[in-house]
Amino acid sequence: MKQTFGEKCFQIANYVFLTAAAFTMILPLLHLLAVSLSSPVAADSKEVFLWPVGFTFASWKHILQSSGLWQSFGVTVFITVAGTALSMLFSVLTAFPLSRREFLLRKQVMLGIVITMIFNAPMIPFFLTVRELGLMNSLWSLLIPGVIGTFNMVILRTFFMSLPKELDDTARIDGCHDFRILFQIYLPLSKPVLATVSLFYAVGYWNTFQRAVLFLRDPGLWPLQMKLRAYLTSPEELAQVNMFLGDYNFNTTTLKAATILFASVPIILVYPYLQKYFVKGSLLGSLKE
Amino acid sequence: MAELSETSMLHPGVTVNKPVKPSYLRNIRKHWMLYVMILPGILFYIIFKYIPLGGSVIAFQNFQIMKGIWNSPWVGLDNFKFIFTYQDFYHVLRNTALIAFYKLVIGFPAPILLALMFNEVRKMLAKRFLQSLFYLPHFLSWVVVGGIVFEVLASGGFVNAVRGWFGFEPILYMQQEQYFRPIVVLSSIWKEVGWGTIIYLAAISGIDPTQYEAAVMDGANRWKQTIYITLPALFPTILILFLLNIGNFLELGFDQVYNLLTPMTYSVGDIIETYVYRSGVLQGQYSVTTAIGLFQSIIGFILLWIFNRLAKKTGEGLW
Amino acid sequence: MRRQLTQKIVPLLLSLAVLLVAGCGASTPNAGSNEGTAGKGNSGAVKVKVFKSHMGIGSLPAADDPHVKYIAEQTGVQYELITTPPGSEPSEYLNLMIASDELPDILRPIGGVEQTLIQQGGALPLDELLPEYAPHVWESIPQEAWDIVRSASPDGKIYYVPKVFLVPERAPLIRKDWLDKVGLEMPKTEAEYVELLKAFRDKDPNGNGKADELPTSGREFGRWMDHLFAIYGVAMWEGYPEWDEYDGKIQYAGTTDNMREAIKFIRMLYEEKLLDNETFLNKGEVWQAKINNNLVGSWYHLPANVRDRYNAMLTQAPDAYIAAMPLPKAEGFEAFVTQKSMGEPEWMIPAAKQENAPNALKLLDFFYNSENDEFVRFGLEGEQHEVKDGRKVIIPPADNKPLALGMKNLTTADDMNKRIEETYPADQQQMVKDMFKVSTADARQIAGDGLPASVYEGYPDIQSHKLFQEVLTKIVIGELPLEAYDEYVKKWNASGGEAVTRRVQEWYEKVKK
Repeated sequence: MKQTFGEKCFQIANYVFLTAAAFTMILPLLHLLAVSLSSPVAADSKEVFLWPVGFTFASWKHILQSSGLWQSFGVTVFITVAGTALSMLFSVLTAFPLSRREFLLRKQVMLGIVITMIFNAPMIPFFLTVRELGLMNSLWSLLIPGVIGTFNMVILRTFFMSLPKELDDTARIDGCHDFRILFQIYLPLSKPVLATVSLFYAVGYWNTFQRAVLFLRDPGLWPLQMKLRAYLTSPEELAQVNMFLGDYNFNTTTLKAATILFASVPIILVYPYLQKYFVKGSLLGSLKE
Repeated sequence: MAELSETSMLHPGVTVNKPVKPSYLRNIRKHWMLYVMILPGILFYIIFKYIPLGGSVIAFQNFQIMKGIWNSPWVGLDNFKFIFTYQDFYHVLRNTALIAFYKLVIGFPAPILLALMFNEVRKMLAKRFLQSLFYLPHFLSWVVVGGIVFEVLASGGFVNAVRGWFGFEPILYMQQEQYFRPIVVLSSIWKEVGWGTIIYLAAISGIDPTQYEAAVMDGANRWKQTIYITLPALFPTILILFLLNIGNFLELGFDQVYNLLTPMTYSVGDIIETYVYRSGVLQGQYSVTTAIGLFQSIIGFILLWIFNRLAKKTGEGLW
Repeated sequence: MRRQLTQKIVPLLLSLAVLLVAGCGASTPNAGSNEGTAGKGNSGAVKVKVFKSHMGIGSLPAADDPHVKYIAEQTGVQYELITTPPGSEPSEYLNLMIASDELPDILRPIGGVEQTLIQQGGALPLDELLPEYAPHVWESIPQEAWDIVRSASPDGKIYYVPKVFLVPERAPLIRKDWLDKVGLEMPKTEAEYVELLKAFRDKDPNGNGKADELPTSGREFGRWMDHLFAIYGVAMWEGYPEWDEYDGKIQYAGTTDNMREAIKFIRMLYEEKLLDNETFLNKGEVWQAKINNNLVGSWYHLPANVRDRYNAMLTQAPDAYIAAMPLPKAEGFEAFVTQKSMGEPEWMIPAAKQENAPNALKLLDFFYNSENDEFVRFGLEGEQHEVKDGRKVIIPPADNKPLALGMKNLTTADDMNKRIEETYPADQQQMVKDMFKVSTADARQIAGDGLPASVYEGYPDIQSHKLFQEVLTKIVIGELPLEAYDEYVKKWNASGGEAVTRRVQEWYEKVKK
């Protein structure tokens, strides 16, 4: 297909803009990487931009060697995988009936759910509820109280509603019941949105922090974000005099940088992998062959 | 895939939708599975949303933590009176509404536009790579991003360096009122725009390619394809996201504004959340902060109600 | 088709279930083992739960931890440390503990929780218990401090053990080597100080050939530039105006004529580029970087924390030397370094834990007993310190190392000297000690020392100093004329300042006696 002159210009402008903008998006992470590999003096003096000054692995060594970190890493991986699976299951099961005209309470239930999205429960009653259910100090407290994210559930529902009605009409003629319509017809056609919502859930679980602080007392159960927060929140002025004369090749500045990277890079890598489900035409193209 | 080939024997001509309204009983008997399916979801919302939501009654109490909800004294609307008689309340509300409005008008369409731009990148690898870079800032906290904004706009920062090349005096942007709101809006776009495109990209990938093929046959160029196929196909998604947004209109997020605010910009940047921080977190006034939260929610609900009615006229609303 | 469905769904659910059970199964023995060890404990010792926030990096000590055991042997009390999880808001955490009836036996209150407990009847009065069970605490804390504590409760009882800090921690600091380079003496008057700052600005004391010096600097919100206010006799605490006597009455320093003069002075410095023009945009780490990079001549900070900054300076300026600056005199004003010594709550006991209170106090007493000073400071060898060249050196904290409880918060000049000797290399100790000498000479305890935060109740904008910060920054950068200060004073009074002032004056009547 031939491009007009205007289209060519647009293409070039589009590439230039997107590349330039993308460049600004990755700079901060590259900067953090450089800081995490620099000497504390250089880092505190803001001498580091994109290339380490006084190169050292000390911060990374310190972080990666700290015991309990890998256990927390395991906890986080577990709640991310299990949480995403659970959330997807519950969200799909809730979204599907809400997308069906045959479900007569659809409007009332939907309104009820939307209200909970706008009106937030105060923290203390929420805390007491979870505690009454006996979920304190167990990983269930990270999985169950937020198992359905209303935003994500609504996205799923919207997508289900956008699928052509002819689909289930045929299915019904074939005598399929609702469960089968969902799992055999709708879900296979919903890969892009399932991938998207899974990503949202996975990132949410990966970053679980507030609930962990509220509900987990046992450090062995702490997810990664909480463990790493110890480095991020060391109060600069409150902190007692640094009590040690030993020469360290890291300090809070370099540790913070390493921490931010360590806590986010694994989950960042998920998206490029999920992108394969975003291929155009994966939905109806295959259907109408 | 195996199951796809089975379902692909559909006959688009057949429709069995009949406007006959069946009785509830018959409906339940026929579609009992739908009711079973949604049961766990409904239980979830009751237990983890509605029961704690009942705790909002502390907005009408002088909540005392030692006494708990059951024994704290009731004060009627006193907490609301306290808020509305706060001398800067109007000011704070105005700042909140203005920033929220700019964020909606400028910030909301940004990811749609970006998704369409991504859609024009033909090379698959470049597209994926660019997308992946765009979503990186989402993972940085506002403390970090706030620090970046201050440094980029500092007198020796990037922006002033560029001004310097053209012979302009440096401007301390962060301490001038007129720049504060644009900075808030732009920084949140920078941070979240890539993340925001994900839903739209998923929706775009759901568009039937035969539509484009037909359009090309009719001689439509890329621009026309975007206007007449892509955008209309995205419309339901846009609408739903808009509705989901509008309900939390007055909730701007404390972290961002707090990390960008200076005393010089209080008069344009002091918002409900920063006020809540001062009165609630610093003074432990749970009742007052809950009352403020209720106020925000009621405004949000009214807005959502209005827009949902409007949405229903063009298609599907939230309920 | 039905078979196909079950084939797909059942394994999915099964694997999910296995995953969940496995995950949670793995976690339970962990939690169990912790409790198990705690239960065994040291035979005979009573358990006391101690809550302390901001413990930093480290794990919680178990019952068989040597530090715990040693104290249990000495006191018959086995401490169980509870602390806020990293990243949590300590006051919120404490409030949740209160809300769910999970109070510790003794706690260090934070974020005004002490007032919540006192006002809602949740705090145990300690007037009689302290002399009986914690005599060392009772005697080592000055009577004046106990009086302030009594003044903070409506019924005049002692509800907490206060923190006592008898040395001024903060000081105006100056680059001595810069003074020498520009050939000037330590300034004695405000005019000399300005002259000095001008020399810093114009004479390239850092010797890099660029006019990049920032004669003096501060931080966002006008914080950490107290030396500029101090010249005009303004009581200031890290940038927050304090309460002190002006015209014979206790008043908010942020609305006095002294403050007006100070702001006028600072505005002039800003205009002349003697005060870093980015002061109000300097985040903490940016401000620190400027000092580290040999850009700042005069600033205000903690002498005890100067080490890392000084070492950074030395990498670029080998002859850098930091001294404390005696406050320059301004005509008609009495300059002083604000000192707050006592009255801030350190330990309190919930009323619900009355039964265990004697044990909690026994534990506390151990730390205040001077016989245990050495142990309180250094802990056990191999655990908290190691001996190098005959000197005890504290082992740095690590994620997997148990924290050691410390409960004493009483610092005298003597303690401070010891701390300097422990934490500074021999060749820097004198420099730091000299700083304290200078700042101690200029320091004065302010009238509002120990003022309870409850006076601000209902007036968050007064408590947060919002109005003050706004007027200070806007006048200094030239956005508002100096006259705006007078309007601000009126607004401050109208928005609750007057009511708060009345409460403060009532409180002061009680303290002064």
